[in-house]
Amino acid sequence: MTRLRPWLRALHRDLGYLAVGLTVVYALSGLAVNHISDWDPNFDNYEAHHQLTLPLAAGDAALADQLLRELAVAEKPTDVYRSDTDEVSVLLDNRTFHVDTRSGAVLEDGQRPRFLLRVANWLHLNRGKKAWTYVADGYAAFLLILATTGLFMLPGRKGLIGRGGVLVALGVAVPVLYVTLSGGP
Amino acid sequence: MPTSKSSPEVQASLTRRSFIARAASGTVIAAMGGGMLYTLSDRLTREARAMTTNDGRPRLPPGQRALEALRPMGGTPGSPSVSDFRLKIHGEVERPLELDWAGLLAQTQTEQECDVHCVTGWSLLGATWKGVRLKDLADQVGVKPNARHVVFEAAHGYTANVLLREALAPDVLIAHRHDGRPLARPHGAPVRAVVPSLYFWKSAKYLTGIKFVARDEPGYWETRGYHNHADPWLEERYG
Repeated sequence: MTRLRPWLRALHRDLGYLAVGLTVVYALSGLAVNHISDWDPNFDNYEAHHQLTLPLAAGDAALADQLLRELAVAEKPTDVYRSDTDEVSVLLDNRTFHVDTRSGAVLEDGQRPRFLLRVANWLHLNRGKKAWTYVADGYAAFLLILATTGLFMLPGRKGLIGRGGVLVALGVAVPVLYVTLSGGP
Repeated sequence: MPTSKSSPEVQASLTRRSFIARAASGTVIAAMGGGMLYTLSDRLTREARAMTTNDGRPRLPPGQRALEALRPMGGTPGSPSVSDFRLKIHGEVERPLELDWAGLLAQTQTEQECDVHCVTGWSLLGATWKGVRLKDLADQVGVKPNARHVVFEAAHGYTANVLLREALAPDVLIAHRHDGRPLARPHGAPVRAVVPSLYFWKSAKYLTGIKFVARDEPGYWETRGYHNHADPWLEERYG
């Protein structure tokens, strides 16, 4: 083992460096998605209220033009439609305007993608599929190697037969106790 | 003669111990404070726990807390455009049907108030939904006698399976409005299913199809370890 340790350290060190990027992606996304019932990890969803000048333009298309002009929106709508008897909806890329045709009140309902997190979540949840599955499998294998080489890197009291062993046991005990005490699946 | 001065190693060890002890105490105090704040502020949940439904069940299923608004809960969104919207009703039916947006709005519309319960532990009480009763659509297409289940089909291949008798309950809607406004994108715009009696993942967002089947077809979450039935009052969260 003594002759093997320098190799284990080198392997552990280099795989550790390689794993940094993906660890950050998976850790950030893990925290974000774990709390999905408290927030939307992909989008900042917002609502805003506006008021159009009365009288409103006649016809749905003309009303959409009035809305875009008054709110200084440069985008071209992807859809203009009646969402209810007295409501015209104007759909744009990341937001929709709902116009009350009686009062001219406008509800803007939109989403702003969260910088970085949306991409991290996309990778973490393997929404892209295809080649990313191999990358994710490779990363999992890296972690297994990191964990295994880490066990044998240090000799003596700070290694597996001393403090290291106690800490490994503590780490293993966490999921074991949780499953035992919670009744498991 | 004993000396009161410790060696550098012992001093370093004490410093480390002291740091760990302080960090642990801080974590415990912060967690307890957060927990107390959470418990004290959850008035809605306390009130909901005191209520019962018409059939005598507690209004708030076990393990749930009440919220004031729907949570988005992710999922890969479909197109929010009503021009792209098509709802295919097919499978074990006499007359398969495909509805576009105008076709859906031309159906008899129902507005109802109901509670919905998410498997992650939140519930929204008294939410209003507007849409078409699935029972009415089923009557139009003529469900064959051998159909036993309904599979809700949604954008990007998402599916959720529901027993036929539960899917045809009068409170099951194909909804396009929530709380007086069109469905917002994170909640499944333009159209989603609403199955109030089951955990909310059964209420597929970004709905594209309703398939009547003779044999059960576990859906997206059901094949990933979640319960096939999903009754919130029985806490059927995981399979």
